Amino acid sequence: MWGGGAVADEDRVRRDEARSLLVRTLHMAAPFKRTIRAALTCVVAVTLCTLAGPVLVRWGIDNGIRVGDGMRLNVAVAAYVVVIVLGYVFGRLQYVYINRAGENFLRLLRIKVFAQMQRQSMSFYDREKAGVLVARMTADIETMAEIVQWGLLQFVSAGLLLVLALVVLTVLSWQLTLIALLTMPVIFVASIKFQRDSNKAYLAVRERVGANLGALQESITGVRVIQAYAREEEQIRRFRESNRALYDSHMKGVRVSTWYFGLVEFAGVLASALIVGVGGWLVHRGTVSLGTVVAFVLLLASLFDPVQQLSQLYNTMQSAGAALKKLYGILDAEPEIDERIGAVDLPPIGDLEVARVSFSYAASTQPVLRDVSIRVAHGTKLALVGPTGAGKSTLAKLMARLYDPTHGSVTFGGVDLRDATMGSLRERIVVVPQEGFLFNGTIRDNLRVARVDATDAEIDEALRTLGVLDRFMELPDGLDTEVRERGSRLSAGERQLVSLARAALVDPAVLVLDEATSNLDPGTEQVVEAALEVLMRGRTVIVVAHRLTTVQRADAIAVVANAEVVEHGTHAELLAQAGQYARLAAAWNASQPMRG
Amino acid sequence: MESRNKHGWRLLATTLRDQRRGLVLGVVIGLVWSAAKVAIPSLYRLGIDRGIEKNGSLLLWTLLIVAAGAIVGLFTAVRRWLAFRESRWTETRLREHLFAHVQALDIGYHDRMQTGQLMSRASSDLGQIQGFVVMIPLTISNVAMVLAVMVILLVSQPMLAIIALAPLPFINVLAKRFSNTIHPAVLAVQAEQAELANVVEESVSGVRVVKGFGAEATQMAKLTKEADDIRGVSLGAAKIRSKFLPGIDLLPSLGLIAVLGYGGHLVIDGQMTVGELVAFNTYLVMLIWPLRTIGMTVAFGQRAAAALIRVDEVLSTEPLVADPFEPRSLPTRVAGVPSGALHFSAVDFAYANGQQVLDHFDLDVPAGQSLAIVGATGSGKSTVARMLLRFYDTNAGTITLDGVEIRDLRLRDLRRAVAVVFEDTLLFNDSVAANIAFADPSVDHPQVEAAARLAGAHDFIVDLPDGYDTVLGERGYSLSGGQRQRIAIARAIVADPRVLVLDDATSAVDPSKEHEIREAMATVMHGRTTLVIAHRPATIALADRVALLDEGRVVAVGTHDELLRTNTRYAEVLAAQEADHMSLGVGE
Repeated sequence: MWGGGAVADEDRVRRDEARSLLVRTLHMAAPFKRTIRAALTCVVAVTLCTLAGPVLVRWGIDNGIRVGDGMRLNVAVAAYVVVIVLGYVFGRLQYVYINRAGENFLRLLRIKVFAQMQRQSMSFYDREKAGVLVARMTADIETMAEIVQWGLLQFVSAGLLLVLALVVLTVLSWQLTLIALLTMPVIFVASIKFQRDSNKAYLAVRERVGANLGALQESITGVRVIQAYAREEEQIRRFRESNRALYDSHMKGVRVSTWYFGLVEFAGVLASALIVGVGGWLVHRGTVSLGTVVAFVLLLASLFDPVQQLSQLYNTMQSAGAALKKLYGILDAEPEIDERIGAVDLPPIGDLEVARVSFSYAASTQPVLRDVSIRVAHGTKLALVGPTGAGKSTLAKLMARLYDPTHGSVTFGGVDLRDATMGSLRERIVVVPQEGFLFNGTIRDNLRVARVDATDAEIDEALRTLGVLDRFMELPDGLDTEVRERGSRLSAGERQLVSLARAALVDPAVLVLDEATSNLDPGTEQVVEAALEVLMRGRTVIVVAHRLTTVQRADAIAVVANAEVVEHGTHAELLAQAGQYARLAAAWNASQPMRG
Repeated sequence: MESRNKHGWRLLATTLRDQRRGLVLGVVIGLVWSAAKVAIPSLYRLGIDRGIEKNGSLLLWTLLIVAAGAIVGLFTAVRRWLAFRESRWTETRLREHLFAHVQALDIGYHDRMQTGQLMSRASSDLGQIQGFVVMIPLTISNVAMVLAVMVILLVSQPMLAIIALAPLPFINVLAKRFSNTIHPAVLAVQAEQAELANVVEESVSGVRVVKGFGAEATQMAKLTKEADDIRGVSLGAAKIRSKFLPGIDLLPSLGLIAVLGYGGHLVIDGQMTVGELVAFNTYLVMLIWPLRTIGMTVAFGQRAAAALIRVDEVLSTEPLVADPFEPRSLPTRVAGVPSGALHFSAVDFAYANGQQVLDHFDLDVPAGQSLAIVGATGSGKSTVARMLLRFYDTNAGTITLDGVEIRDLRLRDLRRAVAVVFEDTLLFNDSVAANIAFADPSVDHPQVEAAARLAGAHDFIVDLPDGYDTVLGERGYSLSGGQRQRIAIARAIVADPRVLVLDDATSAVDPSKEHEIREAMATVMHGRTTLVIAHRPATIALADRVALLDEGRVVAVGTHDELLRTNTRYAEVLAAQEADHMSLGVGE
């Protein structure tokens, strides 16, 4: 509505920051230097053509019309024609070049920022909210797009127009130029105030829009509860309140812009009036020509429009600067887990050993694991149990190097995971997350997430091994069926099967499983169980267990409580110890009243 | 399409009729603005011709120009203010209208409609309508101005006017064409941006999979493709801009050249003054913006028409479930006497997709008794609660509450008498206390607290950062599943219903707490009828009797022990449920 977005106070770019942002941006745009140069040439040419019109009119009036010279008038007309044709040609080129440079820059920015996000380790994703990261890649970059599409063009041409108009006017008559500039301070002060107030108003509107949409969404998703409790009227009353508040803040914004546009309009006419008045007096004294006065009246718009445009652009520039600052912040974040120089491949098989490992998440100083040691022999199954938040999931993640331990080490076949190549690490040790997470695309695409170079035959084979190939082939397009958003086309069980098949495709030595807590329908549950059974065969398995059946099948059980492994042994051994595990098992039995 | 279009415009006309005073005022102000605006170039001309060339009073003309400028400045402001006030008001009222209507629409409708669709009716569609309404008074005064200017030009120099004006209609045409061509291109850019957002979103949410399999390169390839696509469609949009915008800028210059060339010769020949020439020039420049906006208004109008059709579609949907014409009321409750007798008689029901859920369903629950409904997944047990609330109406058969058929009750009376604790607990973005007092915002704090204590929620609530004032919901404090459910139970207690329906209300409660809740439930259930939709064996123990539901009808009723002894199907269903819930259940 007022051109461009708005910036919250804390996001404002300070002058010194603006400088370094600009330098860095120019550096990043270096590959498109030639396009940018071409674009700037076009913008300058177009601006010159725009200015040339009134100048030619003045020349025609003074040297043609007023002295009765038809030839010279025709020369002015012909020159005007040439100028507008040139303006048209350069005008078209200017859009092409500016957008080409801008879109290439944005593309580069998108790719660079995303690549940097992909390099980050899990701890980065724990710190940053998903919504914020998505906003960086979308809203923030789109703010830049606004600048690219029209902001930059306007900025350059308005600035140039302002400067050239001033030069031309001064050359024509410095006296009249001074007169024309008399109203400028008013416009300048008004613009600054306007841009500050409208920024504030815009932020207020944005907040209200968000709140209003939130209220709306809540009432639509919650319509069942609302109707069940006959609360419609109360909801309608509340929505009206929020909706009226939105209306009020819209109107506040309109009020801010209303007086400004009125004032600017008046100031423009006032300046022309002064030109006619003072200019007329100067003409009478013979100081300036009538043509000059006419040219001034015609050129005044070229003086006032750019000031207005520039003041409105200021906000757009501010928000783009704020967005760039955040984006560069991501580019500057160094990943915590990266491949070490001189990393070696892990051996094909080996024992997994956790030695005196302590760990705390960066955000908190409270250790999640304290001096934990545990060894898992090749081909054996270890179940991790314990209360939520005690550290069992973290222990599992450390075993797959989703995090690095704060102290101590995790080794596979004697090689510290930190010394291993990322490629070999992901081939040997595979994590199968709790819920089968699917990406947009086909089932085949979703399996290839695990191994980009897998052939169709290999994918079939992975599914066949798990005994589920037929199930997926029965879908309308077989393995080429689009799973839709988040795999909504597939059942929860089928999503888990895809997740297991991914692991089968990698054929790792170690499987780290986070068992699902949600329930599947009994039929699918059995299929998933069977597939899991096949997948685990012959591999080392670490399972974060929620079910007694799973625990009972493991070779060893580790009870993690209060950041430590408090018990370690087989099911029978631990029951005999009558410790924490025995109590957990008893609690489980007690919650099944129908069994007795 | 034609008639839907008409309905859409009728909706706008009806809405605007209530605002006619503001709109008419806006138009009148706009016309005054046009008059002053049109006068200014003539004043320039007179100032130059009479003031400068003929040595007239410079001061007079200067002051006249200033006065006209003041009027234009003032009315620019007022015109804008009125236009926005009226258009925002239209938007605001339509949104409230839409909200109230959507809240009243039956659940079957909500099952079919996606939240996002209704949201975009109330946000982007209304936004387009607003964008059009704001143009109405502005456009009317712009048209008036364009006409006035044309008349002035034609009267002063007919031939020159015709030549100079000839290119101008094309501005209008081009602006309209541009707006219509760029619109799909802008939509395409937005669509591509949404796809890129999807890739980023899934890479971030699925970061464990990406990291776990080292699939960074795969996601990177996807993103690069999307970034390329965005660049492609954006450059396409730029191409459209490059095709139209310089042309729109060029056309008025053609008129200006005509004025200089042809007009200049007229001045040399003595048929025109220099002042007139300048005025001509200024008038032509003045026409550029209005002509562009008129073209844009037409394009906006086309989009607004499409939005109006979509909004009208929602507003003209009649709720399938509504109050009866002659509502009856429930017999008054007497203290100490249980109420809430339920009787389902030969109820048939199928969802819109044709799936038959209840098939000759009969059930009797005497007042004050509790009954658990047990059945395999998909047997229709949750549907029973929805029928009781009239979320859907039966296809055949009747349901009575305390002897009154529920279709004869006001929806409000019925739903006040029945409280359901749903399987998935939805809390609102409001304080804990307000969420508990949801059914009746007028209850006082002691009552809210009493309900929370009964539901076993008081202890954790006082531990929350702001106790009962802690704001919950999507943008507030997040509770665990068990805590949410206890709040929902407290919410049902506040409603003080005749019939309480627990749709497996304890499923997310951790086993050690389940015991406490069961005790609390016994107190709550006292004196009212309770239906327990049991998805888990543990919940069955809450009820006096059990009804086994199979293929949409009740196949057996009795106590749990009776059914266990006499009915093999009952044992099967229980076993299947138990297998589903072999959870170690440690922590929440």
